[in-house]
Amino acid sequence: MDENVTTAVLEQWVRRFAHLVAENRDYLTELDAAIGDADHGSNMDRGMRAAVAALDASPPETCGALFSKVGMTLVSTVGGASGPLFGTLFLRIGSTLGDDANAAPLEVAAALRAGLGGVVDRGKAGPGDKTMYDALAPAVEALDEALAAGTDLAAGLKQARDAAAAGRDATTPMLARKGRASYLGERSVGHQDPGATTVALLLEAATEAPF
Amino acid sequence: MTESLSGDSPRPGDGRGVGLVVVSHSRMLARSAVALASEMLHGRALRIEVAAGLDDTTFGTDAVAIMEAIERADGPEGVVVLMDLGSAVLSTELALDLLQDPSIRDRVTLSPAPLVEGLIVAAVAAAGGASRAEVAAEARDALMGKSGHLSPPLEGGQAEAGTVDAEEIVGVFSVQNPHGLHARPAARLVSEVRGLDASVQLRNLTTGGPAVSAGSLSRVATLAALRGHEVEVRASGPQAQEAVEHLLTLAARRFDETAEEAAEPVATGPARSVGGPLPASPGIAIGPVRRLSAVPVDLDQGPRGEPAAEWRRIVEAVAAVRRDIEHVRVVTAREVGTEQASIFDAHLSLLSDAEMLADVKARTSSGISAVSAWAGCLADVEREWASLPDPYLRERAVDVHAVGDQVLRALTGEPARQMTSSGVLVAGDLTPAETAGLDLSLVTGVVLAFGSPTSHAAILARARDIPVVVAAGPEVLSIAEGSTVLLDGSTGELHVDPDSHLLAEYERRSADAGEQRARQLALAGEPATSLDGTSVVVAANLGSVADARAAVAAGADGAGLVRTEFLFLDRSSAPGVEEQHDEYVAIAETMAGRRITLRTLDVGGDKPLSYLPMPREANPFLGQRGIRLSLEHRDLLRDQMAAICRTAREFPTSVMIPMVSTPGEMVEARQVLLEAAGPAGLPEALHIGTMIEVPSAALKIEAFLPYVDFVSIGTNDLTQYTLAAERGNGAVTALFDALDPGVLQLIDHVCRAARGRIDVAVCGEAASDELAIPVLVGLGVRELSVSPSAVPRVKAAVRELDVARCAALAREALTMAGADDVRKLVLAMLSGAGA
Repeated sequence: MDENVTTAVLEQWVRRFAHLVAENRDYLTELDAAIGDADHGSNMDRGMRAAVAALDASPPETCGALFSKVGMTLVSTVGGASGPLFGTLFLRIGSTLGDDANAAPLEVAAALRAGLGGVVDRGKAGPGDKTMYDALAPAVEALDEALAAGTDLAAGLKQARDAAAAGRDATTPMLARKGRASYLGERSVGHQDPGATTVALLLEAATEAPF
Repeated sequence: MTESLSGDSPRPGDGRGVGLVVVSHSRMLARSAVALASEMLHGRALRIEVAAGLDDTTFGTDAVAIMEAIERADGPEGVVVLMDLGSAVLSTELALDLLQDPSIRDRVTLSPAPLVEGLIVAAVAAAGGASRAEVAAEARDALMGKSGHLSPPLEGGQAEAGTVDAEEIVGVFSVQNPHGLHARPAARLVSEVRGLDASVQLRNLTTGGPAVSAGSLSRVATLAALRGHEVEVRASGPQAQEAVEHLLTLAARRFDETAEEAAEPVATGPARSVGGPLPASPGIAIGPVRRLSAVPVDLDQGPRGEPAAEWRRIVEAVAAVRRDIEHVRVVTAREVGTEQASIFDAHLSLLSDAEMLADVKARTSSGISAVSAWAGCLADVEREWASLPDPYLRERAVDVHAVGDQVLRALTGEPARQMTSSGVLVAGDLTPAETAGLDLSLVTGVVLAFGSPTSHAAILARARDIPVVVAAGPEVLSIAEGSTVLLDGSTGELHVDPDSHLLAEYERRSADAGEQRARQLALAGEPATSLDGTSVVVAANLGSVADARAAVAAGADGAGLVRTEFLFLDRSSAPGVEEQHDEYVAIAETMAGRRITLRTLDVGGDKPLSYLPMPREANPFLGQRGIRLSLEHRDLLRDQMAAICRTAREFPTSVMIPMVSTPGEMVEARQVLLEAAGPAGLPEALHIGTMIEVPSAALKIEAFLPYVDFVSIGTNDLTQYTLAAERGNGAVTALFDALDPGVLQLIDHVCRAARGRIDVAVCGEAASDELAIPVLVGLGVRELSVSPSAVPRVKAAVRELDVARCAALAREALTMAGADDVRKLVLAMLSGAGA
């Protein structure tokens, strides 16, 4: 079995995600402009900057504390629906990992699955609704499968990243059934979902962290 | 981030009464709403907390702030939370999860009320000492005052149709439709009523039945209103007057039912030809009648979830089927005609039938699974329809069944209808996808009640060598399954339950056709040379590597048209240079040294691609399509040209530009091609050509000559644009004929200019039409590109021709009045030659 990952490695993942969100802020906002209220990029960037500032201010000692801090910061600072949704994702990851300084690969996968469950509870979205679910669910699935097949965590996260990217791409032809994009009806077809795009960045960040 | 309204009126609570929390994206909005509500309190104490905006000016909601606001507003009587929309709701739900003291959660009610109205009535109720449940109920009904105000009683009294009291308008109409108020007129009635702000009830005065809602198709059908029955209309609401007048007018117009739709259903009998079928794809078919059937849905399958989840499944399945039907409806309207497309209106109407859906919802609420709830309700409605006294109406139960079954399949994921045993398929119409999916080992022929010989279904059937007759009338749908039918797809003849004599004749014709086909196939690999020694290239139109294999097997001399769209459809991003090159090479390799002509992407508003934004156009066939669209998206065109250039360096390749109307477009396309070719320059062996589909391009052929190595006449579009007759529109089918002398004049003009300078090919349907081939060859066309299966037959036809005689024939055809005259002329020559 793989070595456990440390809180420090997980923190690098989160920081890398913040970096990718900042880099893609305008792109995410542009995607949102097509089918929403053109604030997803700036909202997520504001939230992740605040999260990084909070981590700088008091470095977390446990995996649970790390993700809970990020989640709580997001719910207070993002503003749009991504606040409670990504906030819940991180909070559930945090509560699943608990007060340990390390996490086993299977625990990371379980935490991500719990996060997906939180997103579903919160947003009530399902497959094909053109939401972050459509990128997150395949990523969780891919990671579980990879680990079950004996793949190590780093390689498993790469597969999860690819699954998230494919899921993100698949949102383009979908008809939005949740959130403001759903008001657009057929006009939402042909646009990539910004939330799914951010999820893909989250998994991209994971493959760039030293797992 | 949160604030208590301490100090201001209302005064901070004293621990008694229900507390309120206002959640909004905008702090200003929330504060103003609270100020408005406070005016109603007259100093009475009330705890109202605000959690709104990220700061004074930034819109957003903050779950932590909401949680804190709830904690502050909480007291023994609990809290009612009012929210605006979207993240306000999600953040509030999250706030409940975040509460440190979970016992507070049990004292919090989230109200679905509209924010401002809800807050005002909730504030009044809470300040008056109401319980949490009472406050929540008041808030929920907050819109009643406003909606009551906006639906005032009618001024009443002026209705020509007569007035019973101040609120109701009443009228009576007599049903004039031959088959009464059956599904289609009923659907029309229902959709008209739904468009109006009025509540409308109908009652059959002749039978004296109960009044039913005019907004429900399943209810309207139960009126069993036959021709001559008197139906009473009672309407109330703001547009009651319009509703009654509109329905009376509509009834007088027979709900716009056409004579064809209203045609008497014909009983089937032995060996009778059904009136009106049109030939659509040649060949003889003999066999038992088969219908598309589907694997029965397992009604017990699937785990049963919470009632809400089961109801959600229904809603989603209905929405999915609605989208599918709307899509088919649009395609049918475009390719077949709006009249035929209206059959789908009845289906759509059923899917939004409020009473039926309410029944299904009630069933799921009682704990029944989505599948059983839908199936149960469907069975009831079907039974109701099937028990109606009128046979025509009874048959409409099939509409209910068809659409209901589609929803069941969407719920269970069971595949759609298909043919399960061999024979002649009889159907209303087939979608292109269904036609493309027909199992050739089972289908010997197809009879369609609707459709046209130029629909995509017919074109696909011809490409697949399936004999088809179309427009056979709805009565064919009631031919019993298993009855023997005979059809001749070249003449449109159709016989039901034939006698042994007729059956024997068809069997002989079928055998003859088989032998002829075998002879043609045996010679297919040889060049097609006319009696007087003129060679005509017979190439194939392809859309895939599989087509290329079929083309080679059928003896094609090349690929005269490769439709590259197949690479671009049904995906979320455009194929790259590499992927395109691989596909083109695969086709070129399969064609084994024969020239392939790649047509650049030819799409328009009727075939939208998700990654290629296209404006919604009123008439996509006269809009941005073909090269017009490609030049707007040069990167895409450049990638395609680059892939074509790479292919052309390895295999004999031509590139062909679609939908060209001016030489300028050719110049621009060549520029893109040159850029795409890179430093190596244009490949030596690459031929560059244009399609001639637009009359202006045909007329200006001289101006094109400096820029092209060949032209290929797309007779389908050229005919459509020349005769202003949409090819799929059944109403103008008679006009749509490439042998119209107007179209022939354009082809003649092109051939004259091109003679001795460039090659002229024809790649439309006319190229495989045996009556058109002598004319085209006579005009000077030296390449015919046809569907792979037609290659042996077209080659055989060319070998029978005397080109000098064809030229004389063509000269005469040019002077004629219509396509029918030309066809007679050709037929006379061919039968003379054969004699």
